[in-house]
Amino acid sequence: MIPISKAPAKPARLMGAMPRRLIMVLLMMSGLPLLSGCAPVQPWERGNLAKPHMALQPFPLQAAFREHIYGARESASGGSASSGGGGCGCY
Amino acid sequence: MTRTLLHALRGLGLGVTRPETHASRRIPLIGRGPFRFATEHNPPDISGRATLRTLTVAAMALPGLAQSPLSQAAPGDTVTLQYGHYKQSSWQLYDGLKSQYNPLQVDNIQANGGLTLEDRWKFAFNYVQDTWSGATPVASAPQALGGNNPTAAGASPLISGNGSMLYDKSLTPFALNEETGDYVADRRLVQTVASASPEIRNQGDFRLGYEWDEAAINLGGGVSQEPDYNSAFGSLNGRMDFNQKLTSLNAGLSYNNSDISATINPLYSPYVNKSFYADKGQIQVYPNAGGGTTEILTGNRQDWATHLTVAQVINKDLLLDSGIGFIRSTGYLGNPYKAVDMVFVDTSGAPIIDAGSGMPALWAPTVAPVIERRPEERDQGTWDIRLVQYIDVLDASLHGGYRFYIDGWGITAHTFDLDWVQPIEEWTITPRFRYYSQESADFYQPYFLFNSAAPTNAGGQFNLAGVPLAAYSSDWRLSAYGAISTGLTVARPIGKALAFEAGFEYYTHAGDLRMGGAGLGAWADMDYYQFNAALKVDLSAASSAGLSADDPHAHHHGAVDHRQSHLGMTAPAGILFNHMLEKEGDTMVGVRYAYSLQQGGMMRGAGSASDAEIVANGCEGIVQCTYAPQKMDMNMVMVDLMYAPTDWLTLMLMPQFMSMDMHLRRLEGAPPPTTEDIHASHGGNPAHSSGGVGDIVMAGMFKFFEAPGHKLHGTLGFTAPTGSVNQRVNGNSEFEHYGMQLGGGTWNIWPSVSYNGYTGDFNWGGQLNAIVPLENHNDSGFAFGTMFQSTAWGGYQIQDWLSGSLRALYTYQDSIAGRYPQPFVPTGPMDTPQSYGGQFLDIGFGLNAMVQSGDFEGNHFGLEWLQPAYNDYNGYQLERTGTLWASWGLAF
Repeated sequence: MIPISKAPAKPARLMGAMPRRLIMVLLMMSGLPLLSGCAPVQPWERGNLAKPHMALQPFPLQAAFREHIYGARESASGGSASSGGGGCGCY
Repeated sequence: MTRTLLHALRGLGLGVTRPETHASRRIPLIGRGPFRFATEHNPPDISGRATLRTLTVAAMALPGLAQSPLSQAAPGDTVTLQYGHYKQSSWQLYDGLKSQYNPLQVDNIQANGGLTLEDRWKFAFNYVQDTWSGATPVASAPQALGGNNPTAAGASPLISGNGSMLYDKSLTPFALNEETGDYVADRRLVQTVASASPEIRNQGDFRLGYEWDEAAINLGGGVSQEPDYNSAFGSLNGRMDFNQKLTSLNAGLSYNNSDISATINPLYSPYVNKSFYADKGQIQVYPNAGGGTTEILTGNRQDWATHLTVAQVINKDLLLDSGIGFIRSTGYLGNPYKAVDMVFVDTSGAPIIDAGSGMPALWAPTVAPVIERRPEERDQGTWDIRLVQYIDVLDASLHGGYRFYIDGWGITAHTFDLDWVQPIEEWTITPRFRYYSQESADFYQPYFLFNSAAPTNAGGQFNLAGVPLAAYSSDWRLSAYGAISTGLTVARPIGKALAFEAGFEYYTHAGDLRMGGAGLGAWADMDYYQFNAALKVDLSAASSAGLSADDPHAHHHGAVDHRQSHLGMTAPAGILFNHMLEKEGDTMVGVRYAYSLQQGGMMRGAGSASDAEIVANGCEGIVQCTYAPQKMDMNMVMVDLMYAPTDWLTLMLMPQFMSMDMHLRRLEGAPPPTTEDIHASHGGNPAHSSGGVGDIVMAGMFKFFEAPGHKLHGTLGFTAPTGSVNQRVNGNSEFEHYGMQLGGGTWNIWPSVSYNGYTGDFNWGGQLNAIVPLENHNDSGFAFGTMFQSTAWGGYQIQDWLSGSLRALYTYQDSIAGRYPQPFVPTGPMDTPQSYGGQFLDIGFGLNAMVQSGDFEGNHFGLEWLQPAYNDYNGYQLERTGTLWASWGLAF
C-alpha cells in the first residue's frame, strides 16, 4: 500500500542532522587511536606483509570497474563525487 | 619471477583510476622485492651474494634508508588494458508483457599506465570509455496504469497511462478486465520502462606525484564527457608515514564540476510536466527541423570530497586500514530522465462507477507525470574499515571490509565485503562476497498518491506549484533494498613481462535483501552480471627482441643486424600484419588506434552531389531521402598480441573496440516528416552513437624469404563476427545505419603478402591484402563488400631512433550485399547498400620512433596521417577527410 504523501519532504541537510558528537564518534572510529597501540614489527618481520596479495587492493583496475558499476546502481557508493570523474551514470 | 612480477604490478598503484578509492590507498611501509627474499620460507643460502643481499635489505628497511614503494623506478612502470562488460536482467513486467527493449548493458574499455618520470616524480594516466544502451525505468506506477502497453510508435512508454485505472474509497487501484468489462483490484506495481539509443562516455585523467622517503603528494585531474553530461575534476592527496613506517596517514581533497544538458525524450516530453525546471530557467527550447521543438534540461552540480585514512600494521600478519570521508554536493542533483507519476484521487466527489454487482464505488484519478526533483544539496558521510590478514598455512590472505554511509537525504547504508586471495602455483584465485543494504531516501516513493483533487491553475490545468512537496523521486536506486554479489578473480603472469587478470561477478538486488527485510517490493528486483579481462605489461621487463644490451644476439651482429631484425617495425603505423617476430618464443604486445573522419559535402563518383539528387535517387527509389550525414567519425582501438611458436611462424590475435558518431542533417527539398520519423523527433541535428566490441582478428604469419636487407612474409588472417550488427536507434525500433554497426557479422578471410627492405638510411616496403566475406549475409541480412588494398612506401632514418615515411594506398571495396530485412525503410543514403565502397587513393605521411635505451628501451611508436588524394564513391557518400593512425608496441 502506498502511503499517502502530503507532508513536504524533510529538509535535506546533513550537518543539521549529524551533530558534532557523531562526527567525533566517527573520528574515534577511524582508527586514529590505534596509532600507538601496536607492538613494533621489525623490518625483517615484514615478509608476509610485503606479499602482493596482502596489498589493500590486489586488483585495483578491476576494483575500479566494479566501483564504477556500484556507483551507477547504488545510492551510497559515492559515485562521481568521491572519486572524480565517473560521469552521470544516468541509466 | 612470478612473485616479482606480481609485486611489480602491485606497484601500479599509481595507475589507478580513482585517486581516492581503496584502490590507490597503499601501504607504504612494506619492503620491496629483495626484502621479501630474505624473509620468505626459502631461507637465504649461505653464499656471499645472498648474505650481502640480506644485509643490504636489512639496511634498506631502516627508517629513512628504505625506499618508499612508489619510488622504486622501473618495476612500477606498467601499462594496463582492460575490457569490462555489464549486463542487467530484464525488468519484470506482468501480464505476459515482455519488455520490448534489450536489457541495459555497458561496455567499458580502459587503458592506464604508471610511469616514473625522474627518480621521485611519478606520472599516471588513465583513459576510460563506456558505451551503454538498453532499457531503463523512466518511472514506476501501478500495473493498472498500463504504462508499458505497446504504443503506436513503439518507442514511447505511456507515462500517463491509458486512462483505465480507477481507485476505490481506500485508494486501492483497480484495473479494467478487458474481457469482462469489470474492474478488479490490482495492487501490483511495475517499472515503466523506456529505452534510448547507445551513448558513449569518454574520460581521461592523470596524476602527478612526488615521493619523499616518508611522504608523498599527488595532484590529479581530468575530464569526463558524454553528450548530456560533462565534468571536470581535480584532486590533491598527501601521505605521511610514521612510526618506522608502521603507520601511514592519507588525506585528500577533490572537487568535481559537472554540466548537465539533457535532451528530454521528445516522444514523452508532451506528457510530462516540466514546469518546475521551466520556471527556474533550466529548460531551453530550440525549434527543430521537424517543425517541433527540442527541449533541453540544463543544470550544474559541484561536489567537494575529503577523506582521512589511517593504515596501520597491527602485527606481522595483519594490516588495518580505516578512514572517514565527507562529500558535499550542491546544484542540480536530479536525473533528467526520471519522472514520477503523481496520482490524485478525490473520493469526496462523486464516484465514476457506483457500488454494485460485486464492485465497490470507484473514482477516476488525475494522473500527472512530472520530471523528478531532488534537494539541491546533499551531505554525505562515510566511515570504513578494512582488515587484511595473512593466513600462513595456505599462504593466502583474507580481506574483510565494512563501510557505513549516511546522507542528508535520509539514506543510510552498510556494505560488507570479504575476499580470499589464494595463490596457487602461478595463479592467484580470489573468490569474493559482498553484501549491501540501504534505506530509502525521504523523498522516494514508487509513485505519489494524494487523496485530494489535483491542484489546478486558473485555466483548469494541473498546477505543480500547488503540490506540497519540495522533493520527489521514483528512482529505484533511492529505495530501500539489499544486494548480494559473489564473484571470482583469477590472475596469472604470462612470460616475463605480462600478466593476465579476469573477473566475473553476479549481483542480485532485491527489496527483501534489505538488512532487516522488507524493502521495496519484488517488482523492482533485478540481477546483473559483469565480467572483465585485463592485460598488464611491465614496461621495464622488455628485452625488445634483440635490442637489449644483454642479448648476445645484439652484441654479435651489431647495428646492421639490429635493423635487419627490426625490418617492418619502422613501417607506417596504418599497415597491419607488416612484421613478424624474430625468433621462437618472442612475444609482442601493442595497441593500434585509428581515428577516421568524414565531414563536409555529399559526393557521388568523383564529384559532388546535390541535395535534390539525393532526395530523388539516394534511397534506391524506394522512398525519397530525408537525411544525409554531415559528419561521421570512427574510433578504433586494436590490441595487438603476437607470439612466435617457431622462427618461421608468428601467431597474432587482435581484439578490436569501436566507437562511432554520426551527425545527420535534413536534406533540402526533403519530404515533410511523418509522425513515425524517428530522426525528426530527435530534433534539428540528429546524432547517433554506437560503440563496443568489434570483430576479433586472428592471423598466422609465415616467413617466406629473408636475405640481408630483404624480408618477405605472408599472412593468413580471419575475422570472427564478434562485433554487433544489430545496433538499433531509439530502443529497438530501427536498425542503425550500416556503417554504424560495430562489426561485419560475417566470418571473413584476410590474406596478405608483405615485403620490407632497407639499405643505408633508406627503407621501403609494400603489401597486398584482401578482406573477403565467407558468408553471403549476416544475421541482419547484409554483408560488407569484398575489399582489396595495395600499398607501397619508402622511409628515411632521420635519427637512430626516428624515421619518416611516405606511402601510397589504393583501396577498392564493393558495395554492401543484401540489406536489412523489412520493414526497414531507408531515411538517407547511409541506409542504402549501394552507397558503400568505391575506389580510393590515399597518401600517407608517417613518423616512427623506437626508444633506444633506458627504462623504456624497445618501446616503439608510430603515427601516420592518411590524406585522401582521389575518390570514386559508390552511390552517395559523405566526403572523406582522412584517417589518423597511432601505434605502440613492445616486444619481449
